Parts: sequence; structure tokens; C-alpha cells
Amino acid sequence: MIVVRAWLTARTWRELAYLVSGVFLGLPTFVLAVVGAVTTVASALTVGLPLLVGVLALARRTPRYFRGPARKLLGWDWADPPPLPAGTWWGRVRALPSDPTAWRALTYCLARWPLAVVGAYPGLFAVVAAPVGITYPLWWFLVPADDTDTWSHTWIIALQGLAVLLATPWWLRLIVLLDRFLVRALLHPSEAQRRIAELEAGRAALQSDAAALLRRVERDLHDGTQARLVALGLTLSRIEHRSTDEPVRTLAADARGTVTEALAELRDIVRGMHPPALDDGLDVALTTLAARSAVPAEVAVSLVARPPDATASALYFAVAELLTNVARHANATRVRIDLRTENRRLRLTVTDDGHGGAAVIDSGQARPAASGTGLAGLGRRAAALDGSLTVDSPPGGPTTVTMILPEIGG
Amino acid sequence: MRVVIAEDNPLLRDGIALLLGEHDVEVVAAVPDAGALLAAVAADPPDAAVVDVRMPPTYTDEGLRAALTIRSAYPGVGVLVFSQWVETSYARQLLSENAGRVGYLLKDRIVSTDEFVGALRRVADGGTALDPEVVRQLLAAPAVDAGLARLSDREREILGLLAEGRSNVAIAEALHLVERSVEKHVTAIFTKLDLPQARTDHRRVLAVLRYLRA
Repeated sequence: MIVVRAWLTARTWRELAYLVSGVFLGLPTFVLAVVGAVTTVASALTVGLPLLVGVLALARRTPRYFRGPARKLLGWDWADPPPLPAGTWWGRVRALPSDPTAWRALTYCLARWPLAVVGAYPGLFAVVAAPVGITYPLWWFLVPADDTDTWSHTWIIALQGLAVLLATPWWLRLIVLLDRFLVRALLHPSEAQRRIAELEAGRAALQSDAAALLRRVERDLHDGTQARLVALGLTLSRIEHRSTDEPVRTLAADARGTVTEALAELRDIVRGMHPPALDDGLDVALTTLAARSAVPAEVAVSLVARPPDATASALYFAVAELLTNVARHANATRVRIDLRTENRRLRLTVTDDGHGGAAVIDSGQARPAASGTGLAGLGRRAAALDGSLTVDSPPGGPTTVTMILPEIGG
Repeated sequence: MRVVIAEDNPLLRDGIALLLGEHDVEVVAAVPDAGALLAAVAADPPDAAVVDVRMPPTYTDEGLRAALTIRSAYPGVGVLVFSQWVETSYARQLLSENAGRVGYLLKDRIVSTDEFVGALRRVADGGTALDPEVVRQLLAAPAVDAGLARLSDREREILGLLAEGRSNVAIAEALHLVERSVEKHVTAIFTKLDLPQARTDHRRVLAVLRYLRA
């Protein structure tokens, strides 16, 4: 009974609709896959390469294209494929030929259409022809006599029709199951890709939380603690001013001195935490840093958009660290700080005219206490934001340190 | 002397008002934000305005922008700007047109009331008051300007004190020199910076500007 009942379930009809629609929707992508296969061969002769890149770029979009009907008819769902690595347009083009997501999607395009045809054709045939076949013995008499067809033979046809009718739902189910395997293997982001996406999202959240926390603490210290200390000092000063009792005046003056020291300390603490000048933009903050530099420094900032807090803070502290390095080791007379947006990345270069010979020494190994400082520390901080740090410092100089960070926070 | 105070923290606003009152300064208005400050100055221009850089609504540089507006719209009103930290670019912006009737101090300096009141009076009288910390940071960067590079260490030191807005007498006291020798140094600075022969105050202002723009 279950065999007959299969036709009465919505599932069978949905699967049939999925496969039939797949015949039409899968055709252009099948053509794409065939073109892809041809160009892959042709690209060995380099002529097909530009076309292949185009095909792969389109193939990258197909997981979303296929997801629509699958979600609507069968309730399947999967995540968007991970984006190509951020970078230049040219960099993305170069990444495509070795992009697993695109190749897997293209493979699916190739398999999808034949599979849909194999499933849909018998399905439709069963819907139309099987009822006719089953009832054939009943209306055989109406058909003009045919010598090769006898009435007893119509029963065989009826049985065949019945068999087709009963088998088709299971056939559909089998094809859809195969498709499901293919979708899982080729369109779903791979396990590693999913894990990377999760980790990246988690790290970005942590970074922005940390930046927001530091910013809040800085606000609280400046608007709360500092203001109260100043008010306290003010009151002490008024006591000093009003009192005619010399010991009281001395005490008040001492206390006021302590308040002044506390304020200076507070300023130093805040400066190392979240430079408030960053709220006014990196150009202001870097100009202030440069003004404090022991070696004369020029600053040029040209940014398209305001970078996220974590990125801005990393750049700020990188410049601070590099300027200290220059002052301490380079014996330079001039530093140039240049920060610009380049191909959707932020590029910071700090160049000095000193004697060169700087190297990235991982101080974390030699002196555990100093880890996180120096050029190696800067490199690690850049890496934490998906960026990079390169040092070009031939003996005799000049030294150029380049830090590249993605425009959108990591 | 009549002053307007713009400070968002009520504790400090009242404290400054009381303090100035005790030093025979008339506080005509004490307001919590930049809009109210501009309104108060427009209604009754004071001799000077004491302005906090960071005020509502965004708590970034509202006060600085209001101060710049006052400087261009009411040249007769002195502006003394306070900020929570040293920002040399703020100083440059404030001094970009001319170095008179303007001051830029760290908020901490309010605690040293005599210096604070002295700076306020200087600004109201048409002079300059720069925070020693700002000057120190500017001094820390060896000058790129050829004229400034010719200065001796002592002359740079004196130029720094000039930038703070101090008089020759005050400079002599600070450096334990006789006033006569300070005058000599100051003249040497003017010569090395190629500043025109003119009234001494004006040249002092020019020297400071030259120094800040380097």
C-alpha cells in the first residue's frame, strides 16, 4: 500500500517539480560547465584562460542560484560560499583559477542537468503514460483493430504501466538523494571553510568589543576621573587662596601637587590605552604622534573611509612603535609616514634615512617578557587583523617598514 | 574682566566659575555646550571665553570648532581652549590665522590656579598662552625650517617660553637669567628668523607662528 500512497504525498510531487524545474534551470549552467571544460583544455594553450576566469566567476555564483528552488521546493539550505580573499581586482582574478569553491560549483553544474533529465523524464512519462497504460484493457476495444495487438497483450501493457507508476516515486527519490549528495559535496561550503568563517566572525567581534571597551574606559577616565581630579585640585587651590593660616596653605599646596601628579599619570595611562586623538581621525592622531617624535617626521594621510576602531588603533600604535624604533636605533634625520587606501587595503609605510640593518627578530623567543613588542610584535598584530608587515632595511639604509591591513576590519 | 565658560561637566563648570569669581573675574555666563556658548557670546560679547574641547553631543571637538568660530566672528573676544590631552594639531588650528587673543592649555592646568588665571588675563589682553606640554612636544621635534635650525639651544628654549606667552621678565625668572640677556637672545631669535623690524609684541607673535608652522 505504501507503494501506491507514495503518489499521494506532497513530497513526490515536490521532488518531481524540483527535477522538472531543474531540467530548465540546469540547462544554462550545464552549458556553462561544458564551456568551462572546453576552456580548461584550451587554457593549456593559454588562449582559453580569460574565458575560463569568466566561467569560474559565474560558477561561483551558482550555489546561490541553485539554492532558490531547492529551498522553496525541498527546504534545503546552505550558507553562501566564502568570498574571495579581499584585495585588488587583479588579485581576485588571479585567485579564481585555483579557487576550490568555483571548481566544485562548476562540477555540480556539469552533473546537475543530466541528473535532472534522468529524473524528470521518467517522472513525467509516468504521470502521463502510466494511467493510459493501466487502463488500456478497458478502452482497447475503441481503438481500431491492430493485428499485432491482442486484448490479452493489453494486460501486459497495463502491468507495465502499473509497474512504472509504482516505481517512479522511488526513482525520483533516488535521483533527488543523489542530487542531495552532490549538493552537500559541491555546493555547501566545506567544513574547513565553515570553521574559518566562524572563527573570523568570532575574532572580529572580539576585536571590536575590545576596541569599544577601551574607548569606553578612556571616556570614563577623561570625563569622570579626570574631571573630578581637576575639580578636587580646584577646590584645594581655593582653600590655598582663601586661607590665611600658613600650615593649612602648605598642606593644600602639597595636596594640590599630588593631584597634579595623579593627573599626569592618568594622561600617560590613557595615552597607552586608547589614544583619544583617534576619535578625530587617524590623520589628526598621526600628526600628533609625529609632532612628538624625536626625529623630524612628515605625515601624509589619504584615506577613502574611516577605518574600524581596531584597525585605526593598530595603525596608531604601529606608528608609535616605529617612531620609537627610529629614534632609538636608526640614527636617522628624517622620517616619512605615509598612510593611504590602495586597492581596498590600507597601506602604511614608514621610511627613515637612517643606517638600515633592521630585522624582524622574534623577541618572543629570546626574551619572553618582551614579546608583543618590536617589529615581530607588530607583525603579529598585523596578522591578527589579516594584514602583513614587511621590513626593507639594507645595511646603510634607508629603512622602509610597510604594514598592509584590510580596509574592513578582520 | 568678563568671561563666558563652556564646560559640560557641572562640577568643573561651577568650580571654575567660583574660582574666577574669587580672582575678581566676572563670569557672565556658564554654559554646558557649544551651541549655548555661541549664543552667549553673540548675546553679549565677553572679554574672553573659556572653552572645553570635548562637549556634547559627540564629545569630540565641538569646543574647538566653536572656538574657531568665535575667533573668526568676534576677533575682539579672547579664546582659552582646554583639552583633556595634548593635541598639537588643535594648537595649530587655533593659531593658524594669528597668535593673538588665544590660548590652548591642558585641563590639568586649571589646578594651578595662578597660572590659569594669568593665562586667561593674557589671552583677554590680546596675548598668547600655550601649554608647556604642547610647547615641549613641538620642541621635541627638531625644526625642519632653516631659520629655526639656526637657533642655538638656549634660543630654542627661549622661543618655547615665548610661545607659552611669557614676557621677557617671566622668561628671565624661569631661566635664572638677567632680563638684559633675555632681551639679547630674543633679538637674536628675531634676526635669525628674518622677522621684520616692527613693534616688539607683533614680532613675538610672528616668531611663535613661525615656530608652530615649522
